[in-house]
Amino acid sequence: MEPPATLDQLVADASARIAASPSLGDLRGVEGELLGRGSTIADARAGLRDLGPDERRTMGRLVNQATAVVTEAITARRIELEREETAARLAGDAVDVTLPGRSMVPGTLHVIRQVMDEIVDIFVSLGYTVATGPEAETDWYNFTALNFKPDHPARAETDTLYLDYGDTAEGVLLRTHTSPMQARYMEQHQPPVHLVVPGRVFRRDPLDPTHSPVFHQIEGLAVDSDITFADLKGTLTHFAREFLGPDLTTKFLPHYFPFTEPSAEMHVLYRGAWLELLGCGMVHPAVFEHVGYEPKQVTGFAFGMGADRMAMVRHGVTDIRHLFDPDLRILMQYR
Amino acid sequence: MKLTLRWLAEFVDLPTSDPAEIAAAFERLGHQVDGYQPLVADFERVVIGQVIAVAAHPNADRLRVCTVDAGDAAGVADIVCGAWNFEADAVVPVALPGARVGELAVVRRTIRTVVSNGMICSERELGLGDDHTGIMVLDADFPEAGERIGADFATLLDMPDVVFDLTITPNRPDCMSVLGLARELGALFRVEVRQPVVTVAEEPPVATTAISIADPVGCPRFVGRELRHVTVGSSPLWIRLRLRAAGIRPINNVVDASNYAMVELGHPTHAFDLDRLGDTVVVRRAAAGERLVTLDDQDRALHEVDMVVADADRPVAIAGVMGGAGTEIGDDSTRILIEAAYWDPPSILVTSRRLGLRSEASARFERGMDPNFCHVAADRVAQLLQQTAGAAVVANRIDVYPLPIDPVVVTLGSDDIERHLGISLGLDTAAELLRRLGCDVAPGDPLVVTVPTRRRDIERTIDLVEEVARLHGFDGIPDRVRTGRGGALPAEERNRRRLRRFMAGAGYYETAALSFIGASDLDALDLPDDDGRRNGIAVVNPLHDGQGVMRTTLLPGLIAAAASNVSHRIDDVALFETGLVFLPGPADLPEQPEHLGFIRVGTVGTDLATPGRPVDVRDATGLWEALAMAMGVTGAAVRQGEAPELHPGRSAEVLVDGDVIGVVGELHPTVADRAGLPGRVVIGEIAMAPLIADRPSWRLEPPSPFPPNIFDLAFEIERTTPVGDLLEAIAAGAGDLFESLRVFDVFTGGPVAAGRRSIAVRLTLRAPDHTLTDHELTPVRRHIVATVVAATGATLRGEV
Repeated sequence: MEPPATLDQLVADASARIAASPSLGDLRGVEGELLGRGSTIADARAGLRDLGPDERRTMGRLVNQATAVVTEAITARRIELEREETAARLAGDAVDVTLPGRSMVPGTLHVIRQVMDEIVDIFVSLGYTVATGPEAETDWYNFTALNFKPDHPARAETDTLYLDYGDTAEGVLLRTHTSPMQARYMEQHQPPVHLVVPGRVFRRDPLDPTHSPVFHQIEGLAVDSDITFADLKGTLTHFAREFLGPDLTTKFLPHYFPFTEPSAEMHVLYRGAWLELLGCGMVHPAVFEHVGYEPKQVTGFAFGMGADRMAMVRHGVTDIRHLFDPDLRILMQYR
Repeated sequence: MKLTLRWLAEFVDLPTSDPAEIAAAFERLGHQVDGYQPLVADFERVVIGQVIAVAAHPNADRLRVCTVDAGDAAGVADIVCGAWNFEADAVVPVALPGARVGELAVVRRTIRTVVSNGMICSERELGLGDDHTGIMVLDADFPEAGERIGADFATLLDMPDVVFDLTITPNRPDCMSVLGLARELGALFRVEVRQPVVTVAEEPPVATTAISIADPVGCPRFVGRELRHVTVGSSPLWIRLRLRAAGIRPINNVVDASNYAMVELGHPTHAFDLDRLGDTVVVRRAAAGERLVTLDDQDRALHEVDMVVADADRPVAIAGVMGGAGTEIGDDSTRILIEAAYWDPPSILVTSRRLGLRSEASARFERGMDPNFCHVAADRVAQLLQQTAGAAVVANRIDVYPLPIDPVVVTLGSDDIERHLGISLGLDTAAELLRRLGCDVAPGDPLVVTVPTRRRDIERTIDLVEEVARLHGFDGIPDRVRTGRGGALPAEERNRRRLRRFMAGAGYYETAALSFIGASDLDALDLPDDDGRRNGIAVVNPLHDGQGVMRTTLLPGLIAAAASNVSHRIDDVALFETGLVFLPGPADLPEQPEHLGFIRVGTVGTDLATPGRPVDVRDATGLWEALAMAMGVTGAAVRQGEAPELHPGRSAEVLVDGDVIGVVGELHPTVADRAGLPGRVVIGEIAMAPLIADRPSWRLEPPSPFPPNIFDLAFEIERTTPVGDLLEAIAAGAGDLFESLRVFDVFTGGPVAAGRRSIAVRLTLRAPDHTLTDHELTPVRRHIVATVVAATGATLRGEV
């Protein structure tokens, strides 16, 4: 008998059939024909028991080899076909990923909020803390404690909004700046003080491109035993560079505020033009006296800046009314 | 404050005439420069000419033919002229062909058959004034013009010049004048300032007006100057040009002299017609009921706080604010009293504000003039009127000064400078700087500084420190950056930011509404009269009615904001705001709680596959649940609410630890309709304090490694029983084993009895330390059911 030749031929034929199987179903059929009941290999294996011991051993090895080769070929082909089928299925499942996704579109924080947060963070990084205060305020905190004379024009009803509230002669007003928190905070805390106060303030101005009856300020205050005008200049210049750019040039020009002396305005050279950025000055001794600090023992500086103005400067807003417009086509730009 | 460079130069020789450098110097001194503009003649090649002969025009009755000598270069020319205010020999400005006058290029042209070789110009044509009643006749204003026939007319004028426009801070009334600003520049540039020396030639007789001051607090000093033989008329061109450059309209030589002296020296004066005033002047407060017709022809009621100048009987001027019509200088006035007084600043401020009358004079007096300068101002006006109105100055200036005001003396020690400015500046240097400002400084440590009375802003040491800093220059102070002891946001502020970021992350856009509402905004919410939000605090002086009340709720602002977007055809709108609302409270100040408000209209979840789902009340309650989770708030709950502005069946109260802190739900359809909002409107307003309060940090609970027991329960409850109560009872009944639950089915009808509904819940129980057995679960289930039945009257439909 010449079974080896038959098996060799069989393996060669089988490899070709396996490789040519077009689908997993087909492959299963081929597998049955090659290895299943009645297949040449199965018959050969069954015929082993009729052989003598030597032949059986030799023949058995050949049958096992043939079985292994065929099984391996089938497995390889199966993996290949499975991969193809998965690929074909996923191809049919494809989605154009450039179609709009399903998302929860986030809203925005108001640009004034973003600017206030950013400014606050710059000062927090310098070791300042944050406080907020009432918007309806007493005359005392808004004016008197800040060294405004009783007849100061800012107190006039043409400039300041008053509320019909309480029974004090001076009345309750809408704070015209965040500076009242200087006095409130110092009354409650002993020096040293390093404070910023973001908040909403009010003036009796009709809404027009450059005015709003409601706007936002950030107040700052630093008080310690040895604070000088040099600290004011250095700190505010540092702030301006953090906020608007590292190479920014600043200049300080004398100005007047009742609650600081000397007072100054900080101007910055921004995008080619000098721009007044904020008002500042050394805390007036009268303010220290009003809050119970001893002006001979402490000095300090204070500053205030308009958050709306900062937002306008940075984002090219030329009409403040846009900042108070709830139009989503504006709000969506505040990203 | 506007002034010209040439005027300044009369008082100080500046080291530069570059306007940019001068503007920078003003700014270094603290005087804001709003701008500076060249002041140039708006004409070219206009020459001084002399009319040689005037002849009638052959073909026009109203025109004349003038023969004009325009100098050696141009020769003699015939010019047709329509003006009749001159005759032969008049010296006039002439524009020959080739000249430019304003926009007009002058050419030779024929006027009714006669050739006209140019034009003789009026003030208005040359842009020098408003006068166009005739041509300019130069003889009177420019006596030297006749010697300069053929010369460029512009050389007669103060041109070219530069006009500076400054904003003077309110603490520096002494700088509201050419002299004051010259002093500032002189101090900065270290150059001498020429002090005004005003001399008048006095003539007999002696002044006879009897001036008395009844209220020396209101008027510590009153100086009077009598003038006679005044001829009221137009001021010379040089005065009018300077006043116009300073932004003041020329009126007549008397008013102009007063204004000129004010711009030049700072101190306002007032002129009375003595013949109409009489010979008695009393300076006093107005009496109740007195009235005065002021220069602007308004009949004004006076008040007892107003200082007035009165004759023997009645007020003739509101002191320092506005004169009276009855003693006004008229064309026929010849006897004049010049008043140069020092008025108490607060009195002037009160009166000018009360009357709504602000004048150049009141703006100066209310800030404070120099009481020791009145006599110079009076004399300067008298001097000008001698020159311009032919006035004779009556001898013996009247000077009533019952309360002399002395200079203030302030000390400045070396440590004062270093402590505030951070620089060591010798006291010698400081003294030198202060002397440049006119202070008298006695050496020593501290320096003893006598401050001129014009410097009302200098009262204490710190004021001297400021002056030293200003003249030394802020640039001469170094920069120093030091840090404070903080460095982190306070918890509340951190949580505020967390809340806002959550809202933005949830798809809401932050808005900033004004803090005012109008009463009608609350009507639009259908709030009943007894609603707390009706107790809004009124603004005493609102800009308009729509801003007459402080907001008690954020809802009107949000509704208006959403409606405005809808009107722009933006369909899906989600907005939020955080801010203070204002409510009456027990304290000195209103209660001002911080609220979160939100509104949402349109749809959510629109994508290619799914059309948007219209928003409804569960978007509101869901937002609250998510917010509470995001803020780490435990004890958050929801219950049926009854806010009047909300849909009665879709209104919820939200709670933290049992306290109601806000309402969420759907806006009442009537309210929404009224606002122009379509469909269901999700809205809510929540007090922020409980959400942003600092809270103890959480402790980790290790998760149980044991499997859960998950099972379903279905209950039937009354339709009116809140599901929330049921869920609460289930959780309570499950006790420590409770992990989570989920409502997975709600239905009515079918097998469920009318008026009742079925709620199916999937419940997850788990023990921390062992696997739950059926044996131990049976009583737990029984306890859950019992708890639910007891709490809600539910019946168990079955374990699904």
